[in-house]
Amino acid sequence: MSGPEGTCFEGGVFPAKIIFPTDYPLTPPKMKFTCEMFHPNIYSDGRVCISILHAPGDDPMGYESSAERWSPVQSVEKILLSVVSMLAEPNAESGANVDASKMWRDERELFNRRAKEIVKKSLGLDKTDTS
Amino acid sequence: MAENPDNKIDEEIERLTGMVRDEAILAQQDRIQKEVEDSNALVSERLPLLILKEEYQSDPIYSKKIEDMNASFPYIRKTRGDGNCFFRAFGFAYMEKLLSDKAELHRFKEIIEKSKDTLISLGCPSFTLMDFHDTFMEVVNQLEEKPSLSELVATYCDQGMSDYLVVYLRLLTSLELQKEAEFYQNFVEGNRTVKEFCSQEVEPMYKESDHIHIIALTSYLGVGVRVVYLDRGENQKVNHHDFPEGMPPQIALLYRPGHYDVLYGD
Repeated sequence: MSGPEGTCFEGGVFPAKIIFPTDYPLTPPKMKFTCEMFHPNIYSDGRVCISILHAPGDDPMGYESSAERWSPVQSVEKILLSVVSMLAEPNAESGANVDASKMWRDERELFNRRAKEIVKKSLGLDKTDTS
Repeated sequence: MAENPDNKIDEEIERLTGMVRDEAILAQQDRIQKEVEDSNALVSERLPLLILKEEYQSDPIYSKKIEDMNASFPYIRKTRGDGNCFFRAFGFAYMEKLLSDKAELHRFKEIIEKSKDTLISLGCPSFTLMDFHDTFMEVVNQLEEKPSLSELVATYCDQGMSDYLVVYLRLLTSLELQKEAEFYQNFVEGNRTVKEFCSQEVEPMYKESDHIHIIALTSYLGVGVRVVYLDRGENQKVNHHDFPEGMPPQIALLYRPGHYDVLYGD
């Protein structure tokens, strides 16, 4: 997935996995980034936490009732669009990554720098990364 | 900006225990669901109504009412209690009726054929809709070409097929609600639009049905349903209600708080 233009994730290429349950499309798939990410709505292990990946009632993060939910006629395309817009506009209220949420809210400059680092790493341009 | 390290630790603990709690609740729900699946077929064989008395042995009100009901509806077909029971019970009972009613089947087919374009015009993505519509039509065509009750039972007991039929009936319900949104808006609880209600309470699987779902589906299809209520009310006879109002019922369903089964008069 490419980081959306005009945002702090611009230029990044982030690999992710989409895992489908056996009763897909009745229940939603899961999505997980396999690279390092730093974002309010992505858990530290890469799992994506947005409303469309949850059926109503299955509500670990207390999404707003108007938020778009999974239904059997939703598509993978719709999920990818939602994830792109999540990268562009994090939802600091339902923070899967509390540190990232706080930084996004209170120290935007620092957050943007962190995001740039993530972008560089995703492109293999991170010189300090010796691993 | 100095952080109080204690606060930070507390937050972290709360976040982790919160996650563990949520996961434990979800796991518990899965276990209960599994138990229900193991002990109930999606759609049972036709059974004598009086078997219900075994479930309410020590309950004089229910026992009396079951006997009262037995005079008009001596048979029952049970459905699995998975939140889809109204749609599954309705779908089965009506299609069973269509096995021997060619004129009604013809009318139904036309409605279903038209419904696809209406759903697309309401914003339902055609690419994913097609799958559900085609599967539904396949089953309807089968009713015409090779009408067989045992085949119909097998279709409704096959989880994959059965759930696809439920999805389409949910979409038809959503269609009617959105098409007549101005009317149904009055019955939507909470501060929600009809569209939001549909995406939260109608289209997703496993969400239970309320009167508004029943009114919408039966009105859209023009199929009268009698719902017989078996509840804790004090009178000795069972109440019933016909949906949509004023339409002669073609099929009957039994409602016990939270669950629908199919009833048979003969």
